[in-house]
This record gives sequence, C-alpha cells and structure tokens, in this order.
Amino acid sequence: MTWELFLLFFQQSLMSGLVTGSIYALLALAMVMIFNTTDVPNFGQGEIFMVASYIALVLLVFASVPYLVMIPLTLAAVFFGGAIFQRLVLKRVALARGASVNLVIATLGLSYFLKGVMRQTGIAEVPRSFPALFPTDSVSIGMATATVQDFAILGLALAAMAAFFLFFHFTRTGRAMRAVGMNPRAAILVGVDIERMRWLVWGLSSAIAALAGILISPKLLMTADMGIVVILGFAAAIVGGFTSLPGAVVGGFVIGIVENMVGLFVSSKAIVVAPFLAIMLVLLLRPQGLLGGKATAKKV
Amino acid sequence: MSDLLALEGIAAGYGSIQALSGVSLRVTTGTIVALLGSNGAGKTTTLNTISRVVPLTGGRILFDGEPIHELPSSRVVMRGISQVPEGREIFARMSVEENLVIGAHVRRDRAGIAADLERVCDYFPVLKSRFRQMAGTLSGGEQQMLLIARALMARPRILLLDEPSLGLSPIMVQQIFKIIRRLNEDGLTVLLVEQNARLALAVSQYAYVMENGEIRFEGRSADLVKDDGLRRTYLGV
Ligand SMILES: Nc1ncnc2c1ncn2[C@@H]1O[C@H](COP(=O)(O)OP(=O)(O)O)[C@@H](O)[C@H]1O
Ligand SMILES: [Mg+2]
Repeated sequence: MTWELFLLFFQQSLMSGLVTGSIYALLALAMVMIFNTTDVPNFGQGEIFMVASYIALVLLVFASVPYLVMIPLTLAAVFFGGAIFQRLVLKRVALARGASVNLVIATLGLSYFLKGVMRQTGIAEVPRSFPALFPTDSVSIGMATATVQDFAILGLALAAMAAFFLFFHFTRTGRAMRAVGMNPRAAILVGVDIERMRWLVWGLSSAIAALAGILISPKLLMTADMGIVVILGFAAAIVGGFTSLPGAVVGGFVIGIVENMVGLFVSSKAIVVAPFLAIMLVLLLRPQGLLGGKATAKKV
Repeated sequence: MSDLLALEGIAAGYGSIQALSGVSLRVTTGTIVALLGSNGAGKTTTLNTISRVVPLTGGRILFDGEPIHELPSSRVVMRGISQVPEGREIFARMSVEENLVIGAHVRRDRAGIAADLERVCDYFPVLKSRFRQMAGTLSGGEQQMLLIARALMARPRILLLDEPSLGLSPIMVQQIFKIIRRLNEDGLTVLLVEQNARLALAVSQYAYVMENGEIRFEGRSADLVKDDGLRRTYLGV
C-alpha cells in the first residue's frame, strides 16, 4: 500500500466512522440510560429503532407530513411507547420478584412483539428506502469525501448528545435520573420518585433510538430486520463501560471508526467481525470499559 | 410541647422475618430523641418505615398529627422528614455541590436552594472547600458530613440520623455530634439512632432502647445514664 493510499483510507475511514459512529453513540447512550436506571440491557432497542424508522417513513411518505412535524411526532409517539412498555410490562415483571433474567426476557419479548406487529402491517414486506432528508451532494475534506447529508447526520447527532449532556447535568429531572443510576437507595431517600424516573428514562431512551433511526434510515435499506444495527450500539456501550454516558459516546465513535478502518484496510467482508474484535479487546484488556471507572460490583 | 412524630404500634418485616412488632415512640418538637439497641435490633428498619422505604404491616405513623404511613417516600421528604442513612449512601460520581443540590430535589424555590447551599456550608465549612470534588473521593468523616448536609438541603423539620458515628475517628465523631447539637439548638428536631449509647444519651433528652424488634425501655436520657443494670444489659457501656 502506498503512503498516498494509506492516507486516503485513513482519512476516509475517520470521516465515515464519525458519521456512523455518531449513530452508534446515540444508540449506546439510549442503552446505557436504561441499564443504569432499570438494571436491564434492552434487547428490544433494535426493534424500537426499526419501528420508529417506519413510523417516520409512513408519516413522511404515506401521510405527506412535513419533515419538521414528522420528527417531533415520531419522537413523541416512540417516547410514549417506551414509557408505556416500562409501566405495563417491566414494572410488573420486576414487582413479581423479577430476577434480572426475567427483565431481559421481557425486553426480548418486546423485540419479537414489535417485529411481529411490523410484519403484520405489510409495510415491511418489501425493502424500502427512506427519502434523503438532506442533499446528497458530496463535499471533500482533505482527501476524504462525504455528503451534505453525512454532515447533517453528524451535526444533528452531536447536537442531540450535547442537549442530553445539558439535560443530565443541569436539570432537576436529569440529575435525578443520574442519581437513580448511581445509588437508587439514596435517590429514594432524597425524595426522588424512582418509578417516575424509570418510565421517563424508558421514554427518553426510546426517543433517542428513534432519533438515531430517523437520521440513519436514508443511508440504509429499510426492512423489518434493520434493528440489527443496534448490535453496534451494544458494542459501543460495552467499549464505553456500559454504565458511563460519556463512555457510550466515546464507544460509539470508536466502533464507527474501527468498523470503517477494517472495511477499507482489511476487507469489506471483515466489517461484520470488527465490532466484536473491538469488544473482545476491550473486555480482555480493560474489562471496565474505556470510561467505566473501577471494575467494582454494582451495588443494589 | 407537641409530638412532631409519633409511631403507634408499628410492625414491619422482610418476607417471613418479623423485624418490628408493636413499636411505639414519640419525638417531641425541638428535642433530640435517641433510639438505641444492639446490631439487628430493628433501628434502621424503624427509620425506614418512617421514610416509607420499608412497608408497614401494622400500626400508624403520625407526623404533626397527620398520618403519613400511606404516603409515597417522596411525599414524606416533602412533608419535612429527611433521613441520613447509615453506610455512606452518597452519589459517589457526582460533585459535592451536586450531592447537595440533589438533596433539595423536593423543592422548587431556586433562590431558597442557593441560600441553603451557603447555610449548610456554615455548619460544614470543609464541604465548601470541596465543592467541585467528586463525593467518592471524600474521607469517611467528610462523607458523613455530606450526608447530613444533603439531608438538610430538603429543609426538614425532623432529621432521622442512622448511626452517624459508625466507623469514624473519635475526633470526627465529636465534631459530628457537636454539629448535631448545634442543629438542634437552631430548631431542628432529631431522631438519633446509635449503637454508641454513651454519646447518644449525652446529646439527647429522651431515649428508647430496642431489642429484637421491640421497645424494651424508655425514659429521660439523664435517668437512663444512671441505670447501671440497663447500661450493662442493653447498652454495653
Ligand atoms: N433487607 C433486609 N432483608 C432481610 N432482613 C433484613 C433486612 N434488613 C434488616 N433485616 C433484618 O431485620 C432485623 C433488624 O435489622 P435492622 O433494622 O437493620 O437492625 P439495626 O439497624 O438495629 O442493626 C435484623 O434481624 C436484620 O437481619
Ligand atoms: Mg442499622
């Protein structure tokens, strides 16, 4: 490989990695929020992401709802869907002496339920493409090329992350959510309504997954199986330590960039294994994740 | 003087374990009342039934004459009952300041909260100098101070203190007790759970002694101190 080619590949994978990485970062954030406050990895997140993308598609294409109305409508619908799932299902499973494995199975149930419902509607029978939300003209930075849409995805995802950072650190509710994740007992004693926080977190997390879906769908082929992308959000969360919100963001970009580097430098067939190599490396060399703090047992 | 807090024959348990039965106690407004007893007697469980973290299976709890034993825990804090739990239950990966701010979670008065940040730091000047530090990096004594300060941020009318002296150096214990006394002089009512009976009796006006989930003795602290038999049997001093 010439130096020239190396530089090109390097810059290109960095560029593309930042774009897809921003989506993984959002998905990982959503995953970590739920894990921190309700102690369950959400295996239904991929299907929330998928259903949200179809809701957006239906609103945009079939109902001709304008773009700026479609986004808040989709986010709101998915927010309430997630919150209702927590209230109706998870809360009850937990109350019925829910061992954490029961909670995990409940989220798997959600995944099958959503996929089943989606198949019923018939919309997912044929693969569809989501209309581009932004121009797809290409722009070059250094040797790398990307589209205007890519920059829009990255910019909007970063803006959403910044908004969440501000929310978690500077609002009463956001602070309470972090408190529940850090020490639920203490949170109850300072007067946090922990059940309310739990459904709010499920709603918020689902809305983040929905946002990720809306942003990335124009670059994907939509099928009922598109939720599989979320596995990379999982990988990002693990790389970040699974309990750290900044870790989730860093993990997202790491996975995105590693994936693209493997694709360009090794082979596009190797892309699918790249995230798993990254997880294995992190789990073996730094089991607490990049930003996971000390590897101590979680206190209940 | 009226009773700020009254437990009337409360019972509670964990599954098949009966942890409390027929516990009655009263805390008069403006006093410090001690709740003593050895490990496993049911002191923490008593505080947790008041905070509505452990459900009651019998009896009533009155705060300022009104029943509170069916309220959710957040409402209990809102009414003016704050617990300082045992075992350093801080928010370790939040700054000292954030721990204090979250102590005021049940309040909405921004200006009042800001003023109270200053006020609690008058009691605990060391916290002021550690405002931006992560709470998890504080020493044991400082964490205990942070816990008390955090509870004060809710502007409680009564403070439930669970073994504030546990695991602290004698100097630190003295310091903490001095502050408890000062808080009480400034008008705060206190229910103080302690294994260190000597200290607790010195600072309180009235005391209850628990054993096996029941109240065995009660009386004025000054009298209990003089009761040799009681001291040997239940208080180990
Ligand atoms: N979470 C719990 N689950 C089961 N049993 C408990 C729990 N907490 C306390 N107990 C039991 O209840 C009794 C009273 O405990 P506790 O109120 O913690 O006593 P103390 O605070 O006086 O040391 C003990 O027998 C203890 O083993
Ligand atoms: Mg105890």
